[in-house]
Amino acid sequence: MRRGLLYVSALGLSVAALGAGQLPETGRVIGRVRLTSKVPGKPLPSTAYPRRTVGDHDAPSLPEIRNVVVYIKDAMYRGALPAMRADLRQEHETFIPHTVAITRGSSVDFPNGDPFFHNVFSLSRAANFNLGRYERGQSRAREFTKAGTIKVYCDIHSHMSATILVFDHPYFTIPELDGSFELPAVPAGQYTIVGWHERVGERLERVRVEAGKAASIELTVPVPVDGGAP
Amino acid sequence: MSDARRPPRLLMKTLMVTFVTVALLLAVVFVVVTVSVRNQVRQTVASNLESTQRLFAAVETRRQRELRAQAETLADNATLKAALDTYQTETRADHATGRADLLATIDQVLEKVAARVDSDAIVLVDSRQATLAAAGRMADRWPRSRPVSLVASKAPDSFDGVARMGDSVFRVVTVPLLLDDATIGTLYVATSLNQEYAQELDRLAGNRIAIVGDGLVLATTLTPRASRQFESAVAVEHQVDGTVALDGESYAFRRLVTVGDTVFYALGSIDESSQAAMRDAMRNLAFVGVFGIGLAAIGSLWLARLLSEPIGALSNSLAAMAASQNVSARLPVTGSSRELDTLTETFNALMASVGEAQAQTQSAYTGAIRALASALDARDPYTAGHSDRVSVLSVAICRQLNLPPADVEVVRLGALLHDIGKIGIPDDVLRKPGALTAGEFDIIKQHPVIGARMLRSVAFLAPHIPIVELHHERPDGQGYPRGLRGDEIPLDARIVHVADAYDAMTSARAYRSARLPAEAIRELWRCAGTHFHADIVAALANSLPGVVSDATHAELEPV
Repeated sequence: MRRGLLYVSALGLSVAALGAGQLPETGRVIGRVRLTSKVPGKPLPSTAYPRRTVGDHDAPSLPEIRNVVVYIKDAMYRGALPAMRADLRQEHETFIPHTVAITRGSSVDFPNGDPFFHNVFSLSRAANFNLGRYERGQSRAREFTKAGTIKVYCDIHSHMSATILVFDHPYFTIPELDGSFELPAVPAGQYTIVGWHERVGERLERVRVEAGKAASIELTVPVPVDGGAP
Repeated sequence: MSDARRPPRLLMKTLMVTFVTVALLLAVVFVVVTVSVRNQVRQTVASNLESTQRLFAAVETRRQRELRAQAETLADNATLKAALDTYQTETRADHATGRADLLATIDQVLEKVAARVDSDAIVLVDSRQATLAAAGRMADRWPRSRPVSLVASKAPDSFDGVARMGDSVFRVVTVPLLLDDATIGTLYVATSLNQEYAQELDRLAGNRIAIVGDGLVLATTLTPRASRQFESAVAVEHQVDGTVALDGESYAFRRLVTVGDTVFYALGSIDESSQAAMRDAMRNLAFVGVFGIGLAAIGSLWLARLLSEPIGALSNSLAAMAASQNVSARLPVTGSSRELDTLTETFNALMASVGEAQAQTQSAYTGAIRALASALDARDPYTAGHSDRVSVLSVAICRQLNLPPADVEVVRLGALLHDIGKIGIPDDVLRKPGALTAGEFDIIKQHPVIGARMLRSVAFLAPHIPIVELHHERPDGQGYPRGLRGDEIPLDARIVHVADAYDAMTSARAYRSARLPAEAIRELWRCAGTHFHADIVAALANSLPGVVSDATHAELEPV
């Protein structure tokens, strides 16, 4: 699973490198994302009665850093976007990974790894679809042809959700576990770098990219965490 | 007038004392019952409220949980969450206005939830604590994008609170909408704390209800006046329980449940409850009172009879004694009570001593009279000892006639005194040796009347007066002083007459010698029927055995 994630990231990076190869006047953006938690007031108890879990609900949750996407805001890209193929598995009543970033025209597979039915649907402006219900071992795919933020849900398990970010350009990445990231082959110029998290929105940082150089920035994303523990 | 001043009868007194005692007792019981009933009712109302509170709190907690679980189930809706999350994500990302189709989807889901949950409004509050959508009959109080502040309950695992929207106050049960363990919004199940709600609680709890929030009564089933008084008296201090006077009525109150800054009070009227209890107690008391007074009346009547009957019997005996002037009679000992018996015995002892004193007085009188009679007899040597002898003879006749001892006593003294009137006869007439003239004899004939007049001045000599006055009457009416005939002459006078004649004949006189007894008897027999009563003469003759043996029947019978 983690391997799958790395695979997606590596794919993205290779795409970026490919673009960089066409344009020699490029530099890199390297940096680090720092998550700070903004602890809200005492949360209300989530249920009236103790929750009785159905199945194995103790899914190994991914570190929050993997739900952050770093990208260049409103980047212009004239080249042909490479189509990608990403996996968004449904396992332990959870979409894994929770956040996927892809280029426009890419497809996402939604394999069902749970021993019961799942569904995939979205109400988002960029992609409004419903893949229907299907059992274990089956998989449905969807091609995303419009850039935007697409929230994906399971109609059967109302607590499941995932986010797919579809970009018009290849300048995006998901940070490593230690928060470090790299956007390679970025044309020299002035940019706004975004650190995005679904519950925070966009955190912006200005950067100047010079050819052949690495511009370093630090992004701070205040992720709200329930229950006080970050 | 004197009748009005007479003291009351014993019966009236015992009745009065009993009634006063019973009335006092009843009054004391009344006061004690009133106080204790009031106290008991106060305690009952308080404990009633307490159990109501416990039950209410338990039921209410349960109800809130059920409500929440129900709402939670309905809110566990993928469409609702997807619509809300998508709406919020897109609004956040693009800083654009929300999509109307998503809001419509949300509204539709909320309407479904509202139709299934017993509440006044189902409200969706977004992650920025502002209303996003509302459904239900009071949805209009929750306009879109209005910030909501919830005063949550302080209890550790409670999930309710109070929210104020404009001038409406809602009790709110919250249901968080979770997506991947993060809260994306909150569903409020809101119940308006209005008059209707207070009335429903009133009906459930069976008590008056006052809902107090922020020092103000929000809703109540008390009267407006009582409500204002309750507000100023209790609301501010948030007391748990106590008693309070509202609009002239005494209430016990207790805090049922606290939600956020809002407190639910139950109130029970002590006066209302105690009226019913007092009515019961008074009915019982009245029954006891009537029964008690009846019993007391019977008891006092009985007591009065017990006391007054022997006293009445005693006083009747006394009255009879007084009427007969009989000092020798004794009162019967009733045996009804020791005191009364002692009284009777003391009285009898007193009467005995009185009788004794009277007897002494009489014997003193008698002695004096006897001395007088002796002195009279002594004036004439021929008549010396005459009165004593007549007395002895008369008593002998009485014995012969079997007269009762009392009558014998009358005769004994009467005979002794029979010639007492001769005191008033001049000596020259009385002691004249020769024959008396007619005038002198008339003077002599005065002595019974004189004697009777003398005796009348001494009360206890009254029984002897007939003897003194009439001892010279004769059966043929030729006697003096009245000339009575036959049976008109009292028996004792006849006896003394015969005895007097016999002694006169057997005594020597200046003008003749004494005759022999038998001779005298013969003479008496001769005059029997004219001068003397024959039965008396016979009795005298029988009482003198010697005489009778001397004067044989043969001698006597033919006469």
